[in-house]
Amino acid sequence: MTYHASIKQFLLDEFARDMRPEEIEDDFDLIGNNVIDSLGLLKIVAWLENRYGISIDVMDTVPENFNSVTAINAYLERVIPTKVA
Amino acid sequence: MRTMLCTAQDGQSAVTASSLVGGLLAQVARQPEAPALVWREETVTYGALHTMARAAASRLRALGLVSDAPVGLVAHKSPRAIATILGCLMVGQRFVLPSTQLAHASLTALLEGAGCSRVLTPDQATAAAMPELGAVAVFEDHAPSDMDDADAEVPADYWFPAALGGAAEADCFLLTTSGSTGLPKVVPLSVGAVDAFTDWALDHFDIGPETTALNLAPLNFDLCLLDIWAVLKGGGRVVLVEQDLATNAAYLLRMLDAIPINIIQSVPMFYNLIVHDTHDTPRSFPAVKHAIFTGDSISRSTLAALPSLFPAARLHNIYGCTETNDSFLYEMDPARVDEPGPVPIGHPLPGVHALVLDETGAPVEGTGMGELVVSTPFQSRGYLDPARNAGKFFDRNDGGVTRAFFHTGDLVCRHPDGTLTLEGRKDFRVKVRGVLVNPQEVERIILGHDQVLEAAVLAIPDDTAGHLLHAFVHRKIGAKLNSLTLRQHCAAQLPRMAIPSRIDFVIAALPKTSTGKLDRRQLLRSCLEGESHDLSRVHQTVPA
Repeated sequence: MTYHASIKQFLLDEFARDMRPEEIEDDFDLIGNNVIDSLGLLKIVAWLENRYGISIDVMDTVPENFNSVTAINAYLERVIPTKVA
Repeated sequence: MRTMLCTAQDGQSAVTASSLVGGLLAQVARQPEAPALVWREETVTYGALHTMARAAASRLRALGLVSDAPVGLVAHKSPRAIATILGCLMVGQRFVLPSTQLAHASLTALLEGAGCSRVLTPDQATAAAMPELGAVAVFEDHAPSDMDDADAEVPADYWFPAALGGAAEADCFLLTTSGSTGLPKVVPLSVGAVDAFTDWALDHFDIGPETTALNLAPLNFDLCLLDIWAVLKGGGRVVLVEQDLATNAAYLLRMLDAIPINIIQSVPMFYNLIVHDTHDTPRSFPAVKHAIFTGDSISRSTLAALPSLFPAARLHNIYGCTETNDSFLYEMDPARVDEPGPVPIGHPLPGVHALVLDETGAPVEGTGMGELVVSTPFQSRGYLDPARNAGKFFDRNDGGVTRAFFHTGDLVCRHPDGTLTLEGRKDFRVKVRGVLVNPQEVERIILGHDQVLEAAVLAIPDDTAGHLLHAFVHRKIGAKLNSLTLRQHCAAQLPRMAIPSRIDFVIAALPKTSTGKLDRRQLLRSCLEGESHDLSRVHQTVPA
């Protein structure tokens, strides 16, 4: 299972309310296009921690892990044990 | 402060170590094992930094880069990037230091406009991300023995002012303005200006080998002249914070816990974040001796929390521009932080001349309002492109001496006690996280999209960032444009800080004044009253 759908829904609710989930490309550069800035990054981290009951290490809060839907999904797949997913 | 140091290879007499590289080499000679940089929880000693800098200097020579033409240095913060800058300084290579946040087209135009012969970047990832820049020479961590040309190896005690007998007039750092659209201006700083500034900073903040400073600003910011370069000149230790972690309060607090930091310099946002995060669990960091805020006005509520957070710290409000470097300083009495009113920018630094000019250009004597113009011992002589000096740099007779002054664009009020407070801008620019941005220029970029009918970009005051940009956009009928594609349009032409934080599409014309102009005040009021979520209410204000 992937987390794409819920990630997109969160991003749109928070940062692009004019759009539908199918309109956002998986590889859209969220940071380069300032959809999420460094404070937005913290918002995403807080949401992920709440939603998936995980604890994200401060050192992991770097753009590489969150700069696209694909990257966020990959990060989640790494940190969430398979049985939970 | 001055130390007798090295002798140049060609037999010149010993020179004083008043230069940045000279100060650093003195510490290399004295205490090579002393820590110079802390990066990602690892320490780089002065000896190791010097080895990296020599490798970079040797590489510059091997590439035949040392010439009148500057090189572009596109570098995210890292020890290797700092060593590359040191390498440039060692061999007297001028370098343009652009923001890594610039849109690609702006970066290319900036480097071409500056006449850069080559573009250097200390890491492959950055080089790979900018293939269109052409002649990109990638600086990797070459040991001097790897050099193709053994003659290019830079001697251990080599440095440029020694080689040239001290060339204070030569440019070294070529900083860039924020350039919220179009091309940032290139601001050359001479060796002498950098030396004068770092000497002032060393003296004023008691910087020495025992000092540890926190560096939060990106490498291209003038703030680094204090919290990186003055500290390295003094033999101290710099704790580098990665740009993307500089807004992460948990990370910053962890760092303050782990390392006794003595000097903190930042835009107010850092203090806002720390104060907010420690509100429920008060903390105290007694190692901090100097807490410096700069780049924007700090709020009284944040200021009031600083004496308990940093109980042993002197609190400094510093004012400066990229073109002039720091020019005013106000030391805040910790006992009076909760007094009302804006925090003064204080008095000119030693050697700084400042005037307040009224609308006719005449100096305001005594109390009153006007534009602040300054002349500092640390300033640039003018932009690299002299055509851009008009209206910014000008000569003026001041007490019988002709000095080069700079129009700051900041409106100030002079109070009866002689202190100045910032009262706004002469233009429309605002600070977003300490960076000047012009909302009307952002508006112009959005209007340049062929599916946009109307646009308004407002600067909304924000407790953390100073201001945030909020765009209202009216699309053409049937337009496919959405907020993400509009962001891409902006990102191609604007630095990241100038891309609006929020974009709202409206389905009717934007409100107008009675003369048919965009009614920004009406829109701003709607935003501030929290009505922007309900766009229909904005539309109801549109005259039929």
